[in-house]
Amino acid sequence: MEYKLIKLEKIQDFINALIASGKQVLAPKQKKEKVFFSLVGSFDEIAMDYIQTAFSAKSAVFPKCEELYTFEKNGKDTILHNPPAPENDTIVFGMRPCDGAAFDYLTTFFLKENPDYHFKMRYDKTIFVGLTCSSGDEFCFCTSVGISPSDTRGSDLMLTKTENGYYMEIITEKGKKLVEQFSNFFEQTEQIDKTKYTANIQKRFDSSALKEKISGAFNWERWEETSLPCFGCGTCAFSCPTCTCFDIQDEANLVGGARYRIWDTCALGIFTKHASGHNPREKQSERWRNRILHKFLYTDEQFVTLSCVGCGRCIRNCPAELSIIEQVNAIMEG
Amino acid sequence: MENMYLPYRMYIEKITEEAPLVRTYRLKFKDPADEEKFSFKAGQFGEYSIFGEGESTFCIASSPTRKGYIECTFRVAGRVTKALANCEEGDEIGFRGPYGNTFPIDDWKGKNLLFIAGGIGLPPLRCVIWNCLDLRENYRDVTILYGARSVQDLVYKHELEEWNNRPDVNLFTTVDPGGETPDWKGKVGFVPTILKEISPSSENTIAAVCGPPIMIKLTLPVLFELGFKEENIFTTLENRMKCGIGKCGHCAVGPYYVCKDGPVITYKELKELPQEY
Repeated sequence: MEYKLIKLEKIQDFINALIASGKQVLAPKQKKEKVFFSLVGSFDEIAMDYIQTAFSAKSAVFPKCEELYTFEKNGKDTILHNPPAPENDTIVFGMRPCDGAAFDYLTTFFLKENPDYHFKMRYDKTIFVGLTCSSGDEFCFCTSVGISPSDTRGSDLMLTKTENGYYMEIITEKGKKLVEQFSNFFEQTEQIDKTKYTANIQKRFDSSALKEKISGAFNWERWEETSLPCFGCGTCAFSCPTCTCFDIQDEANLVGGARYRIWDTCALGIFTKHASGHNPREKQSERWRNRILHKFLYTDEQFVTLSCVGCGRCIRNCPAELSIIEQVNAIMEG
Repeated sequence: MENMYLPYRMYIEKITEEAPLVRTYRLKFKDPADEEKFSFKAGQFGEYSIFGEGESTFCIASSPTRKGYIECTFRVAGRVTKALANCEEGDEIGFRGPYGNTFPIDDWKGKNLLFIAGGIGLPPLRCVIWNCLDLRENYRDVTILYGARSVQDLVYKHELEEWNNRPDVNLFTTVDPGGETPDWKGKVGFVPTILKEISPSSENTIAAVCGPPIMIKLTLPVLFELGFKEENIFTTLENRMKCGIGKCGHCAVGPYYVCKDGPVITYKELKELPQEY
């Protein structure tokens, strides 16, 4: 692996040069009391010292709503068009390692079997620049699910803030190309031990012990009691970096329109409701159970990976103050 | 890379009114190149669409032995099926598929076949029934038990007649008590009751069951009583579905996706799944 250093005073020039070159820079930006990934016009807009964005970086590649294709009506025929691929690269800058690890999962999910055209066209044009966490909060639990706050998984380049500036690990070919293109902002450096610049995130549960316990948890008698506050708004799923479910909807007029996919969630009753009215997951507790088991059991069976990266967003954002950490610990207690 | 959401463009060649709000469409490819590359097997399904309204999931109800077209049978229930029902012959329909697994009819060679269907559960079995009848020499006795709420709710009325007249098919039709008409010649009673009455042998026999959840629930104990083994009872699952290719998440039952791991499943496999279908 190669290592570079960006001096503190150079980081601003680097970002502004990226923007000037026509690349879209998606970076954490403060809006009122929260931080969101937003397109930025200059380095000044970026919040470099944030703990967690309200929503994950996944929308860079899997947007909330996107065209699957468009169609035009031509008499009794319909002409179909693929959505245009993005012209310019997008740089996801300052992404937390948990979001990076989420991309590790998302690429497996979207590209391994029945590869997803739309995900791939965006993913190929996106470069992920991770940023080591120097601090966390009581909702962070990445270390409980096997991820570290300086994890490089899913990042093309990884930054760690040190006394001298930003230490950069070049992880992928994609990252290397970008570094070569903007080489005048970087200095050569040696590998360093990132530990002292990395937040200490406390382990909140033991995922291997959980694995033992959760395989038989479908019939656990406390699902109803522990999920009682949940009113099924879906905020947890919409802010989750690994949730992938979507709905497909059309919008059209007399001359044409588009078929879209839009984020959806198993928290909603209609998600599984049949046309006949039959609903396999009738109760909110069954939907909550599905979410928890999907994260900690089902994807482990499918892809040999948990689909929770410990970002803590579902806890921070839950209007009913439900906590996935408390839920998991309750399952462990039995 | 291919955009898997782009449908084939097809047109309705023929419309058959089956029962109140139930129609069968015979669809043909608009582009001969699509027809050339398209193939499917019994048990698979697809996403049928009206551009501007959306997509709906139905099985392919015709047999792969009948080339050049596919058929679907649907009941009007929501926005898309309503729009589909407003179509006329010649109108355009989008179709994505075939998706899902298939009935293992090659493994069934030399066996007796028992098909049990209720109401709108016959279309998914009709595909495999015709597939087996078109390869009739491969199978021994073929028995079909079909029930519906009332006489007018029976689908494929002409084909029921045809099966009834074939010496190599044992057909039993039944309607729920009160659903019969004065000239009804079939049986009266619920499917599980009639199954018990006709008591087909489980010896060297495969059973394929499709119908409303309550019918399946009550039919299974009768099959076990008759000595059917769990691995010889097949059904085809149905769940709300959007993408058909294991991505949208709607049809997932635990780690099992009805759209790509199913829809065809044996009772033995079914009972391993979380009870959420």
